[in-house]
This record gives sequence, C-alpha cells and structure tokens, in this order.
Amino acid sequence: MKKIAAYILPVALLAASCTKQPQASQQTTDTAATTETAPVAFDANTAFGPNKVVELQNPQSNKVIIKLMFKNGSMSDPKGKEGLTYATAQMIANSGTQDMTVTQIREKIYPWAAGYGASTDKEVTTFTFAVHRDFLNDFYPIVRGLMLQPAFAEDDFKRVISNQQNYVDQVIRASSDEEYSKKALEDLLFRGTNYQHVVEGTSASVKNITLEDVKNHWSNMFTRNNVMIGVAGNYNNEFLNKLKADVAQLSEVKPTIPVAGQPNKPNGVQVEIIQKNDALGSAIFTGTPMPVTRSADDFAALMVANSFLGEHRKSYGKLYDKIRTTRSMNYGDYSYIEWYDNGGSFQLPNPGVPRTSNYFALWIRPVQIAEGLKQQYTELKDINVGHAHFALRLAMREVDNLIKNGMTQEEFELTRKFLRSYMKLYAQTEEKQLGFLMDSRFYGREDYLQEMDQLLANLTVDQVNNAVKKYWDVQNMFVTIVTDDSEAEPLKQALLNNTPSPMSYSNLVKEGLPKEVLAEDDIIANYKLNVKGVKIVDSKDTFK
Amino acid sequence: MKNKIVAMLLLMLFTVTGVMAQQSSKILPYPIHQKKLDNGLNVVTVPYNSPGIAAFYIVVRAGSREEVEKGKTGFAHFFEHMMFRGTDKYSKELYGDVMKEMGAAANANTSIDRTLYHMTGNADMLDKMFEIEADRFQNLKYSVHDFKTEAGAVKGEYTKNSASPYQQLYEKLVSTAFTKHTYAHTTMGFFEDVVDMPNQYDYSLTFFDRFYRPEYTTILVVGDVTPEKVNGLAQQYFGNWKRGNYKPTIATEPKQTQTRYAHVQQQGFPPYLTLAFKGPSFSDKYKDLPALSILSNILFSQNSDLYRKLIVQEQKARFIGGGPQFSRDPNLVSYSASVVNANDLQYVKDEMMRVLNEAKTKPIDAKKIADTKSRIKYSFAMSMDSPDAIANSLSQYIWLTGNPEALNNMYAVFDTVTAKDLMDVAKKYFTPTTLTVGTISPSEKSLVK
Repeated sequence: MKKIAAYILPVALLAASCTKQPQASQQTTDTAATTETAPVAFDANTAFGPNKVVELQNPQSNKVIIKLMFKNGSMSDPKGKEGLTYATAQMIANSGTQDMTVTQIREKIYPWAAGYGASTDKEVTTFTFAVHRDFLNDFYPIVRGLMLQPAFAEDDFKRVISNQQNYVDQVIRASSDEEYSKKALEDLLFRGTNYQHVVEGTSASVKNITLEDVKNHWSNMFTRNNVMIGVAGNYNNEFLNKLKADVAQLSEVKPTIPVAGQPNKPNGVQVEIIQKNDALGSAIFTGTPMPVTRSADDFAALMVANSFLGEHRKSYGKLYDKIRTTRSMNYGDYSYIEWYDNGGSFQLPNPGVPRTSNYFALWIRPVQIAEGLKQQYTELKDINVGHAHFALRLAMREVDNLIKNGMTQEEFELTRKFLRSYMKLYAQTEEKQLGFLMDSRFYGREDYLQEMDQLLANLTVDQVNNAVKKYWDVQNMFVTIVTDDSEAEPLKQALLNNTPSPMSYSNLVKEGLPKEVLAEDDIIANYKLNVKGVKIVDSKDTFK
Repeated sequence: MKNKIVAMLLLMLFTVTGVMAQQSSKILPYPIHQKKLDNGLNVVTVPYNSPGIAAFYIVVRAGSREEVEKGKTGFAHFFEHMMFRGTDKYSKELYGDVMKEMGAAANANTSIDRTLYHMTGNADMLDKMFEIEADRFQNLKYSVHDFKTEAGAVKGEYTKNSASPYQQLYEKLVSTAFTKHTYAHTTMGFFEDVVDMPNQYDYSLTFFDRFYRPEYTTILVVGDVTPEKVNGLAQQYFGNWKRGNYKPTIATEPKQTQTRYAHVQQQGFPPYLTLAFKGPSFSDKYKDLPALSILSNILFSQNSDLYRKLIVQEQKARFIGGGPQFSRDPNLVSYSASVVNANDLQYVKDEMMRVLNEAKTKPIDAKKIADTKSRIKYSFAMSMDSPDAIANSLSQYIWLTGNPEALNNMYAVFDTVTAKDLMDVAKKYFTPTTLTVGTISPSEKSLVK
C-alpha cells in the first residue's frame, strides 16, 4: 500500500515514480542469440479471466484486503507510448469516479484510514484496497466506482503524467545508483523487446501519452477476461459474490496480451558503464538469461544454489562473505534468480511482480572509486582504477567455482534447512499471503511457498549442482556499472584489456589479512573475464 | 482472545463517541507483560496469535545521540556492525551458521536514539535466540583486524546512501539546525569520521563497556510465546549480565534566534523544500506531540486544503507532508514539498507558512479533529497485523521512554487534544526564529527567503 505510507517525500516519489529508458545508442546490442524458452511452458494468461478468484477468509481479522491483478503490465505498452499501462493504473488510483472526485474520495475515507493504490510491473498491474471491517460497506462503492466508472479527469491526468515525466527525466538517474544500475541492466538484457523499458516509460514516450490513450487502454487491456480477484480478511460470502458480480461488469474485450520479450544472450561479457558527476562509488549489476521460473520444479534447486551464493540482504552468502565481511569492499553483495523489487528497501521479498521472462543476476553494492581511495589513503595515491574490476572478477569467479565444483552435501543441507524455515517468513501478513497466493496462480501453482517447501524436502545436492551447471553462465553476461566520470575510462580500459586488478587495500586492512586471503586475491586479480565489449554512456543519455 | 479485545475496543470507540476514550481502553489490543531483572534489564512479552512465529527484539538505548565526543560521529552505527563479529564461543562464522540454521529474518539498525537488533523466526528456536544474543551482548570479542575491516563496510554504506540528494540535504539540515546537541550529525556520521573509524579500536571497547549494559537494554518478544517462558530464558541467559555506570552528558541545544538555511545545489533533480522548526521532545503525558501530529495531518495530508491547492488544483507541487520527529530530546518538526518548478519554491514556502500561521489563530473545525483522531486510530489498528509490526511499534516507545506502555499512554493523550491545543502548539512552535529552511535546487545558493 504505497499510497498509505507515502509520508516522506522520497518514498512518495518512489511510489509515484517512473522508469528509465534505453538510449539511442543503446538500440544495438552485441547479442549472440535469443535464449531458448522456458522448460516448463505454463501459460500465465490462463490464470486470469472470469471466475479466477483467490480467497483467504479470516473471521479473526479486523480488515479486508482486495486485490485485483490484471495480466497487463508494461510489456503491453504500445510502441512509442511506453509507460501507458503505468499511466493508466495511476489514473485509476489518482483520479476519482464518475460520482466522486479524487478529493471527495480522500475526504470520505480519511477518518477510516482506508487506502488504495496501484502497482505496475512488466506483466501485471495490481490494484490493492485495504479497509477496516467497520467500513467495508461504506468503502466498497468507491472500489466499485473506481473499477467500473473511473473519472479519468483531465486535470488529474495532467498531474499524473507530469509526475511520471519527472520520474523518467530526473528521479531515476539521481536517487539511487544501485536502482539505476539494476534498471540499466534490464535495459541491456531486454534491449529491443517489450521488456526493455522501465514500467514508467521513457522521456520521449511519456510525452506521447494522451488521456484518450489511457481511456482506451483501460477498456481494452483491463477487462473481465484478464483479471484475477484476490480477497483476504474479514468478509462474508455475500460480499464476495457482490465483488465477483461487479468485476464481471468490467469491459468485455478479450485483450491481446503480447508474448513476454526474452532476454538477449550476450556474446561474451558485455559491459555498459554509465558515468555521472560526483558519484562516490561504482554500483554494479550483472546478469545472464535463465529460462527457469517458479513454474518449474528446477526452481527449487536454483533457490538453494542462489541462497548459498548470495541470499538477499543476508550475511551467509559466499559473495557477501568474500566481498564485504573478509575484504570490507562495500555494504553487501547478493545473487538473484528472479526479479526482486526494490531490494535496497526490503529485506524480504514482496509479491506482485510475477514474470515469465527471467534471468540470473548479481548485485554488487557500490564499491570505492580510485579518486576516493587516493584521497583517503596516501599509500594508494598511484592507483588508476578503484575496486569495481576486482569486485566483478571476484563475484564472477565465485559463480564459476560453483558451476565447476558445486556445493558440498553439508553446505546443501544447511542452506536447504535455512530456506525451508526462512520462506515461512515471506507471508507474515494477510496482504502478503494473498499476494503470494495470487503470484502462485500466475506460475501455474496453487501455493508456491508450500509447494517449494515440498520440492526442497525432496531435493538432492546433485540436483542442485546439475541445475547450476545447466542454467548459470559466467562466460556470457551483461554488466552495468554506474560510476563517477573520473572512473569510467580507466575502468573501461582495464576491463577491455583484462588488465590485472590487484586489490588496493589501505595499509590498515592489508596488514592484518590472512595469507590465504592475499593468495586468493592474486588469483582473483588475474582471473580472466570474457569481456568482449565495453561502452561508456553518459547518464543523461540513458533511458531516452 | 485478541480479537475479542479488538472488538471491545472498537465498540468502545464507537459507543463512547467523541473525544474522551476511557482510561482503561488501550490502543494496543494485546496485554504487555513486563519484568525487570535485578540487573536492570527490562523484559517485555506480548503474546500474539501467530502460530509458530516469534519476533525477538533487543533495544539498546544508545544511538548517534550518545556520540558526544568529537571525531566519534557514526560510532553507534559502526558498533552495531561490530556486534556481528563474533565471540570466543561463537566466532562470526559459527554465529552465521547458527543463524542460517535457524532460518530467521535477522538484522540490526541504528538511529538517533537507539540501536535495534531483531530476529523473527520459528518460536521453537527461542531458547537458541536467547543463547546466541546473550553471548554476544556480554562476551563480544573481535580482533583489531576485524575491527578495521568492518569499517570499510560502513564506508560502503555511506557511499551507497550518498547518491541521494535527499540524504545530502538531510545531513546539511541537521548540522545547520543544531549547533551543540548531538542531533547535529546523522546516524551515519560525518564522512571524515567514517574514514577514520579503523583507527578507533580502543574507543570501540569503551563504547561497548558503556552502553552494552542491562540498564540500557530491553528485550522484547512478540508472538507465539508466553511471558513465563520469555522471563525464564531472560533470567537464564541475561541474569548474570553486569550493570554499568556510564551516563553521557549530552549538550543542550541553545535557543535558536533567527532563521537558518541549508542548501544543496543539484541540476536535473526535482526542486525540494523543507521547513524545519525546533519542536518538543517525546512525552507520553504532554499534549504537544499528539497535537502537532494531529495538526500536521490536518494541514498537510492528502486531504488538506493546502494539498488540494498546491498539488491538485495549481499543480505547483508534487507532494507535501511532514510532522514532528519523535525523539528523546527536542528535535525538529519538519514539513517538506517537492516542487514542480524551482521558480515556485518561494511561493510554496509562503503558502506553507501561511497555513502554519493561520493555525495559530483560526480554530480547526471539531469534526476535522475527530476525523483525524479516528484516522490515526484506525490506521494503527490495521497496521498491527504481525509479530514484527507489533514489535517494531513497541520498540519505538521503549527507546523513547524505556516503557512500552508509553504507546498506550500516548494514544490516550491523543483523545484529549482540543482545537485550542492545536492553536497553542502552532503558536509555540511555528516561529521564524526557530526555523531552518532546507532546499534542493539547481542554483548555487538557495533563492528562498
């Protein structure tokens, strides 16, 4: 419920935010081939439509949560109007109904602390409504009005689109270098496909969106035929029937939902360095196509390997241990086998971002640049490049080692035990339980969390090691690095030439390092990355 | 059990109608059990229906507020990092393995007034949770090398945060608004102090000795547990923890006598404005903070007249909002706006000042006040939906006062706030002499007066 929490400006801006865009120079990519399609071909579209309902009734609860998830995300934005799905969803959340203006609605629900909001991802858009059970009957007509008779007021449109434009023009580049490099990676992975643009669109495309487009998009793409109803908490059957009957009144159009764009397969390691003024560090994301999602049973095996390598925001992963704990290079390092929304702000995953098109990724949080290190330590006054090259080598080598050597039985057992307990914490509130159940249906599962637990229970270490060999690849990866303009060119040259990158410790840290670490450093410094291309892009030219 | 209490509470709110809730009605519908051990450690248990899950929180009432020595800013936060560096019994590797085996969601964070360690997981593991936490809180032991190494991670954290102009403004704003009090620096600390951290090993031992003591600490467990079990484990594992004797002397902030300015120049970024007034410290008895909270809602929420004017009608701002900060010592009451054009920064400031000034003399409509109280209560009731949410909320009142019941007390004070109280706090706090104006805009200097 982003809307409800939006009290601090930065949070509000994130919530109201938009995305990035590919740049003109980014339209060509060094691509070897398109990846094969997923091994388990579940058609997510079949989880949506008339009578697709997820229920989570709880008479003990003091509230009711309604979620309407549409199988329509940014990937169905028309060409040249990228950001239209997001704009449409925001207009539902920020304009009123034909009976009430948005101001009147806010006035009415204010004493109830009821709230609602919209979130858009690549493949789905979800509207979430939350109200205390005392006010369900008063609140529901508003829910109904927003869905069936939205206002689409001209003035509201001006405001919504202005915020969206502001986001794609400015906010995305200047708020968090980590989020920036993550979105830049998707831009690179999916270049030329309907998955490339950030959900908020691009600087050029948002300008093309009209209110007429929004109205048409609503009636053509948000319909009774691509919706999934979710409801949780303290409601009764009569309410549920009313809700179902009303949702059945949505437009009768059968929307044509495009096939999700598949990630490009990089030819070797392809790096894009985004340079900006006054960056203190280098923020790194790297990824490679991976055709497995929660639909596939193999996902459980990859979960174990991923958790071992780099569980999100945990200190147990190999990457974290070697880069942060042992070498003190940054704030944290993790790996991913699916999209993790806003990982800088959340320790546990959020539902509502299911995707059929997937990739394996590493997140290396900002490491020091040469300019900073030189100022901080006189003993480093002669260095040319900061820590990015070494960090990237270290991370890729860890993946490489895992592919080659696999996990031991003991490592496997401990990691599996962790996951089976940890996953129970994903859905601690009703809203999250509901969200995870709805996502489960998208992947063709009844209850993903339970089913994965069963798959984990039956898993063997060999299955994990085989899955890693089969699906992970460090020879062919896309890399994006957001960094200072002083660092960009030296880093580019070092990467292109595979120049050895000895780790430049301060004397303070170096003098106490165990010799095994120093010995490993020598190997890492000379580890060959299969770099085939490095491009420097100016920040202002991204996401155009 | 719990739901009956919720129902009763709500029934009461409804039938009693109006402003005064009964003394016995507590906003948190779950009883808070407290036990103080002989060594001063407070143990708080809140049983909650979350089968198999418990949230285990440790609140240390030391944060960047306690960083009184020059050159030591950011130390409370740095120390929080050091708490993961192991003991004789559990090395950092072994601690990691135990944590992994428990499969808990565990972490820590530091703020101005406190350091918070939290672990949410299998309630059956409570014994182990107590054991490993008691071990590191009493027997933490790290090498000089580990100490120096961890400092790099803190610098990395500073580096990742620094990209945000909001963070830059916040840093400047507090160091401008405060001249003597330790609220002048952020919890992250000044960058030069962060860079110097590896040289402060000896001081880190002093820091541990001062603050990681039972009298600074509260253990809070919420979820599928009983107070008997929690108290027993607390006694078993923390009973021998020795009391300390350190009390920091925190400088009082002198009275501000004129408007101050903090500015961040930033091209290609949405212009931003913050009006930060000197406000009160937290109290669960006085009306100032609840009155300021209610007034902030009325003047600046999405439902306010000013929001309608600036955001909906004129579209000169994208967002407005703010309110008082809850903290142990007097802190800021801040209102911020994201402005569409930098040329309108002055206009938006004038409009915000206009409504703040009007609030001094123009009584707010009684229905508006009642609606706002209702909103605050319902919002709270709906958010108490997991052990973590409850523990988080209670931990705030623990670090503010040492007593989790302060939560219930404060909400009771909310009920007593009148239109006159709102005018009184407006007069008392919204004064230009105690104002610091923060701005982000492309110009070299702030053009806002």
